[in-house]
Amino acid sequence: MAGSRKQRAAIVGIGQTKHMSTRGDVSIAGLIREAALRALEDAEMTWADIDAVVIGKAPDFFEGVMMPELFLADALGCAGKPMLRVHTAGSVGGSTSIVAASLVQAGIHERVLTVAFEKQSESEAMWALSMPMPFAPPTHAGAGGYFAPHIRSYMRRSGAPDHIGVLVALKDRLNALKNPYAHLHEEDVTFEKIADSVMLWDPIRYSETCPSSDGACAMVITNEAGASRGSLPPAWIHGAAMRSEPTMFAGRDVVSPRGSRECAADVFSQAGIVARRREIDVVEMYVPFSWYEPMWLESLGFADEGKGWTMVEDGSTQMDGDLPVNPSGGVLSTNPIGASGMLRFAEAAMQVRGQAGEHQIDGARTALGHAYGGGAQFFAMWVVGADKPA
Amino acid sequence: MVIEYPFSRTTGPVIGAFLTGLREGVVVGIKGSDGRVLMPPTEYDPVTSESLNEMVEVGQTGQVTTWSWTEGRRYQPLDGRPFAWALIKLDGADTAMLHAVDVASPDQMSIGMRVRIRWRAEREGHIRDIECFEPEVGAS
Repeated sequence: MAGSRKQRAAIVGIGQTKHMSTRGDVSIAGLIREAALRALEDAEMTWADIDAVVIGKAPDFFEGVMMPELFLADALGCAGKPMLRVHTAGSVGGSTSIVAASLVQAGIHERVLTVAFEKQSESEAMWALSMPMPFAPPTHAGAGGYFAPHIRSYMRRSGAPDHIGVLVALKDRLNALKNPYAHLHEEDVTFEKIADSVMLWDPIRYSETCPSSDGACAMVITNEAGASRGSLPPAWIHGAAMRSEPTMFAGRDVVSPRGSRECAADVFSQAGIVARRREIDVVEMYVPFSWYEPMWLESLGFADEGKGWTMVEDGSTQMDGDLPVNPSGGVLSTNPIGASGMLRFAEAAMQVRGQAGEHQIDGARTALGHAYGGGAQFFAMWVVGADKPA
Repeated sequence: MVIEYPFSRTTGPVIGAFLTGLREGVVVGIKGSDGRVLMPPTEYDPVTSESLNEMVEVGQTGQVTTWSWTEGRRYQPLDGRPFAWALIKLDGADTAMLHAVDVASPDQMSIGMRVRIRWRAEREGHIRDIECFEPEVGAS
């Protein structure tokens, strides 16, 4: 349709579970139900108000249930309604949110419920992620084993000192203390404790890695007509973008993949953002290993190449810095893998709605939600704002 | 050394109660919003999606609503012997469950035939605590 444009879409309901190692009291269905009901309650809606459900999770191997969405329709109130499953590995929570938003933006549905989850206690994701690489000897165990050389490459290129990763982990674990839903609440965490923790995958220490969590996140996304229904202000979607690239190809930059840089350029362009660091008030970024904070700061254009680590060192990404990153405590404090990307997107929306409680950034009006997945090859990002887009 | 990649399952309050019942030699379904007894039980109502919690004990006998003959294989019910897969509606239930029926040949199977549970002696809270179904003695 020439001349047609995307409809405005907004997040009007957000829910998540209290994340923990094992939710032994609920089934997978019960876990996602809990997050979905909280999102509906926040949106002041019931199951009947929802037109369609979009669900995401990381690889099925993580729980050993193939295509679990097939048995979850009743739990999500969508018997007789459209239900879509999204999968883009670790970024899936982000891309699931974007697929849900696109159904509203396209004018196909008015109110969409989107849910993402992982129940890591039902299996062992680290070994599920230790698959052999084609044409290569088996050299790594877990995602940390895959990403450690990329981090080492970043350290060499940028000349970043060794303690930067510790500073990121310390910040995120301290931020998590302000988030009642975060998995890790390490009241006695210190720089020394993180620095002295065991080296798992050099240069990644134990305390610089994410935990294994059971958890779910859900959001209700509506069109403009639905955005003013609830008592809380909506979070408007100003831009949403996804990119992907193969795991391996000659010349691929694993430190700052082209897919990441182009995804960022797209999402900021859609949102009309030019001066990224100045115009974005808060970032919820996918950082499963501490060093990914400075790496993504550069790839997303918040810092010049080779300078991301200086933003960590000078405190710019702290709660009271000029670009707070992961006030929720981030993936480093909570990692129900399939939900982790949606938690970034939802936490960004919570910030601009002013509903982040103790980890609220005062005056946040524009926020970036970010997720990456696979071998740093799937990217999903959205910019949300308190103001209705032009 | 055994290298394995284990999965575990948190069953939740409803499926958990069903499996615990099997261990005790009892079969429970759940009452749906329309009054039907769903067996095996579901956590959420298939019509309204509301949470269900009214567990109902059903009978240990029932009738075959449909069936299919199969040659037995290792790891399947009855450990290699031929048997019938059947949908079985237990007395007191309004929906049917899938299980094995132990008869010697397909000639002995029919829709509407009466069957009863044959329990395993050692039970652990698993669907295979029901070893299989067998024709109800005395039924026509």
